[in-house]
Amino acid sequence: MLRPAPYETVLKPYGTALLDLALRRDDIVCLGADLTRQTETDMFRDRLPERFFNAGMAEANLVGMAAGLARAGLKPFVNTFGVFATRRPFDQVAMSVAYPNLPVRLVGFMPGLSSPGGPSHQATDDVALMRSLPNMTVIDVADASEVSAVVSEIVDLEGPVYLRLKRGEIPVMFDETYRLDLTRALVIEPEGEVVIVASGMMLAPAIKAREVAAEHGIAAGLVYVPVVKPLDAATILESVAGSKGVVTAENHSIIGGLGSAVAEVLAEAGSGVRLRRVGVQDRYATAGSRPYLFREFGLSSRRLLEVIWELTGTSDPVPELAEVTVETPGVHEPV
Amino acid sequence: MAWPILEEEHVSTPPVPLSIADLVDIPTRARIRAVELVGGLGLGYLGQVFSSGEILTVLLGSFVRPGIDRFVLSPSHYVTAMYAVAAELGLLDERLLETYGIDGSDLETIGSERTPVVDFTCGSLAQGLSVGIGYALANRIAGSDARTVVFGSDGEMEEGQTWEAAMFAAHHGLGDLTLVLDCNDSQVDGPVSSVTTVEPIVDKWRAFGWHALEVDGHDLAAIRSALDSDAASPRVVIARTTATAGLDTLAGLDDAHFIKIDAGLRGSLSDELAGRL
Repeated sequence: MLRPAPYETVLKPYGTALLDLALRRDDIVCLGADLTRQTETDMFRDRLPERFFNAGMAEANLVGMAAGLARAGLKPFVNTFGVFATRRPFDQVAMSVAYPNLPVRLVGFMPGLSSPGGPSHQATDDVALMRSLPNMTVIDVADASEVSAVVSEIVDLEGPVYLRLKRGEIPVMFDETYRLDLTRALVIEPEGEVVIVASGMMLAPAIKAREVAAEHGIAAGLVYVPVVKPLDAATILESVAGSKGVVTAENHSIIGGLGSAVAEVLAEAGSGVRLRRVGVQDRYATAGSRPYLFREFGLSSRRLLEVIWELTGTSDPVPELAEVTVETPGVHEPV
Repeated sequence: MAWPILEEEHVSTPPVPLSIADLVDIPTRARIRAVELVGGLGLGYLGQVFSSGEILTVLLGSFVRPGIDRFVLSPSHYVTAMYAVAAELGLLDERLLETYGIDGSDLETIGSERTPVVDFTCGSLAQGLSVGIGYALANRIAGSDARTVVFGSDGEMEEGQTWEAAMFAAHHGLGDLTLVLDCNDSQVDGPVSSVTTVEPIVDKWRAFGWHALEVDGHDLAAIRSALDSDAASPRVVIARTTATAGLDTLAGLDDAHFIKIDAGLRGSLSDELAGRL
């Protein structure tokens, strides 16, 4: 199912998939806020200009217009950076979209520390914000084939969807046997002393950490969670039963996102399994490259290994990994 | 306006639009009814029906075409006024009206997703115009000339979203979009003009590219005439009103936004209003 790292990348799978869908269905409309090329919707704009609306830098109005279009029977895809899709128009998303349960698809680019732009552009709390809203589905995918598939998968879902997407080059991690299933968490490795539960861009470091741990005689399970809400609690509970600990891995604050969601499930089930949350540790990051930020802010394979070593009580030193410092075009190397 | 799907059993068949002459008593009757509704609870959003009685009467009674046009109530604490006017126009079942404000009723005191008679309610202020633009864009895509009417209020001009929406609508020449602003100079902390300066309202909208008309918001014919004016750009009808509707009983009231109403005040208001019929 998984291809070996480093992964080849595909360019702009979202923009292509959205246009393909809109060419087949005339109820798709595309909205943006002065980030057309950056959200891969320039193709849509050029091909279907009558169904493309640029709100300018006005996210409150952007979201409200999408609500009206949705109430009128259309399927609006609203595209901007994750920070501007969630923080800035939060009340509009809550009251004009989530409360009326309208089929607005809010697509937030540059999740977590994938943006070099610093805290103003790094969506480290978007999952927390969107997860708190009733009716909202929250999706954080990892792989290029998923990005292509998810557009068609969400178009007819009931109610609003928040989809967070990495921009530009997306790694191809799964082979052609994989099918995205929005109703299930994916058990990649069922057995382990500890179990990693990962979403989005943290799947690649999680796979790498699991492989390195295995080389050192520590078996780690791996569950991939593309849909953070509604969470597939049953699969997670089943996978972690009997393990020494659970490690969540998310490209997001450890507060309010996947780590919190898993904590809620474990606690309410009385599982008694120890939990460590790998993610942004309740702080704002800085500007910097993806390898630098993922390493410095603890979103790395190395950080996952440290936690696995701790949970398993392994006294051997945590293995050193070759440092990834630069990004090569066309290749995605987990940090 | 699409008559509500959820509450179909509670609304009457949409009437043929009425002439202004048929509507003259509706605002006063609606105010009497609103006094009964709010009086029954002892407190509530009553000033809104005093300021907007004529506006809502014209919109619901003669302008918005049921099943064709869309109506967005942006400040949804005006919903009591909507209920009262709709009931007087025969659009809302009396039995449903009897449940107003009671726990569990669909007739909540601030409009919500359960509210009949409107296409979108926005309790968090200034969100309605953007939704109206969405409707207008959907009509444009569908090649429909249906109208979108947004009812707004002067206080909502304090929110930045109003101006985001104003810029967009004018840029896209949404001529089938009409905003009617109840300028009653009333918000929670007192007169709007005492909180901040929203004037000059007409100039502001014109500067944003809108066809702006200023009318006496208590004059049915003037409101209707402004609604009928032809424009390629979006239209805003700036309806100047008072939150006391010239009632002696309410003279000197500091806060007409949210009124506590005891039996004495209820009786005085009803009597004074009845004298206008």
